[in-house]
Amino acid sequence: MRSVLQALKQSSFLQETGITLLSILLAFGVGCLILWAAGYSIPAVFINLWKGAFGNKIAIGNTLTKATPIILTSLSFLIAFRCGLFNIGAEGQMYIGAIITAVVGAHLHLPAILHSIVALFAGGLAGAFWGWIPGYLKAKRGVNEFVTTMMLSYVAIGLTDYLVAPRGPLHDAQAYANQTSAVLATARFARILKPTQLSWAIVVAGIAVLLVWYFLFRTPSGYELRCVGQSPTAAEYGGIRTKRKLILALSLAGLLAGLAGAGEILGTHFRFVDGFSPGYGWDGIAGGLIARAHPVGTVFSALLIGALRAGALQVQRSHAAPGDIATVLQALVIFFIIAPTLVRRLIRWRRRSVQ
Amino acid sequence: MEEAIGAMNFWTILGNIFTLPLLLATLRLSTPIALIALGETYSERSGIINVGVEGTALLGALVSSLVAYFTGSAWIALLAAVITGGLAGGLHALWCVRFRANHVVSGIAINILVGGLALFITSAVWGWRGTSPSSPPLNTWYIVGAMFVLVFLSQVFIFHTRWGLRLRVVGEKPEAADTAGINVHRTRYIYTILNGMLCGLAGAFFFNNVTRFTSGMVGGRGFIGIAAMVVGNYSPVGALGAALLFGFIDALQMRLQTYIPSQVSIMLPYLITVLVLAFLIKRAQVPAGLGKHYVKQ
Repeated sequence: MRSVLQALKQSSFLQETGITLLSILLAFGVGCLILWAAGYSIPAVFINLWKGAFGNKIAIGNTLTKATPIILTSLSFLIAFRCGLFNIGAEGQMYIGAIITAVVGAHLHLPAILHSIVALFAGGLAGAFWGWIPGYLKAKRGVNEFVTTMMLSYVAIGLTDYLVAPRGPLHDAQAYANQTSAVLATARFARILKPTQLSWAIVVAGIAVLLVWYFLFRTPSGYELRCVGQSPTAAEYGGIRTKRKLILALSLAGLLAGLAGAGEILGTHFRFVDGFSPGYGWDGIAGGLIARAHPVGTVFSALLIGALRAGALQVQRSHAAPGDIATVLQALVIFFIIAPTLVRRLIRWRRRSVQ
Repeated sequence: MEEAIGAMNFWTILGNIFTLPLLLATLRLSTPIALIALGETYSERSGIINVGVEGTALLGALVSSLVAYFTGSAWIALLAAVITGGLAGGLHALWCVRFRANHVVSGIAINILVGGLALFITSAVWGWRGTSPSSPPLNTWYIVGAMFVLVFLSQVFIFHTRWGLRLRVVGEKPEAADTAGINVHRTRYIYTILNGMLCGLAGAFFFNNVTRFTSGMVGGRGFIGIAAMVVGNYSPVGALGAALLFGFIDALQMRLQTYIPSQVSIMLPYLITVLVLAFLIKRAQVPAGLGKHYVKQ
């Protein structure tokens, strides 16, 4: 144990990973306490959680399907976070992106692959606009972005709900539900792992991970963005136009969330349905934090959250416990991850007891 | 002729909207926003940002419904909500002060945690995901009255007593406060816990207002409370003024639903909040030590 810890100490990457894994374990420990206190069978919950997330081909497909938008919303959160901003409005940016994608996908007539790409980027740009608003207000008027991104989320959800409700301009006349008409076949992403809903959207998410990594760590603009996040005054002094970076960061955050919404429409639902997202936008906050704001990390954090979501459905179905324990676990992981001094103290305490 | 009819309709509609019940609804709906804004004023004056107020208020509402259901007493439920709110504030303070977590992230974690717990607990206890059965409520005007008293007492406390001066110094210049013998960390714990208690009280209001718990009942009003604090420029009376404005929009929105699609009117308070933040405020006087960790030398 001691030698492992010493090795961990020498590598900051390994140390970070170790603390993250330990945080997840601790969170699951507390989750067990909650389940035990509520009188549920802990093994039954975890067996079903595993079954629903990784039990068979379909379960894995479900996990990956759910991880897809979460990768993008996690990137959305972290790109703003790297600039010292909090984008907690990814949910709304997703809705705006999704509805524009649904309109472009249903009403534009283009050749097959081109149509998907155009619809995807239309959604991304719409999301970027929704992110630009709080960015502009932050840069020009100094308005708290975490309040405005949140408020604009509610506005986006209400606005799209109005558009697809009966008597709304985008309502599908043939349907009773609040939804738009279906996206044309030319715009749809192909399914990868039938019968699950896993589609090419996951490839889009993967490309986004690489692009965000490249942007943040290999381009001057990305470097400047991170400088602003580290110290706005120093960045300003060093000649970086900080206000522009703030606007850029939130616009990019909106873009990524918009792509998440677009991917859901083109790959999963094939139309905009009111309430299509079970909260993928909020999941991005946890995803970005668990990834320690590193783009590559989001692949793993989104898989974790996607697995929790897929597993939660099975937990609910099997009546082992309410599936919402998954959200509780997510929050607990965040609590441990953001308190590295707590986890380090626990390690130290453990080491002392070993000695 | 048509124009005249249009105009008459307009005035009749206006007359139907702006009535005494609207004024009373404004006072009631402003109450939770003002309580949250007041709590946030205290904690941010001490240097702790708490965006977990949204979740803390929801927790207060959840605990109110649980305790009212099992004891049948809305007063005990109210007390329990305030205490639990204080505990949530204490958790946030522990994370921000002791473990030096990022304030905003810790607050977000509280919001996610309570959001999950609300669904988990309602399912576990009543088998209904996200709602509780109805319980005998408290007259919410007690909480409205308490809110006004608390706001005016706080105004005097923060600006005209030496305890208030100490609070302001801790948020503004923690080093100076420390030199003067004020315990910075303890001060931050106290006022963040107080913030949580006020949010718990706001949560009790949400519960008593509709006599049952629903998981969406706070619906962003915690964040509107933070906006009210910013607009009120970190003073209790200022926060109350802004809360009255937001409460008025909320009350108005409900009456407008007769005339415009409900989805549009529901988003009005959120839209107005953004507009108010964008156009109504000058640069607020943010406490200099806000959101920073203080490490004793």
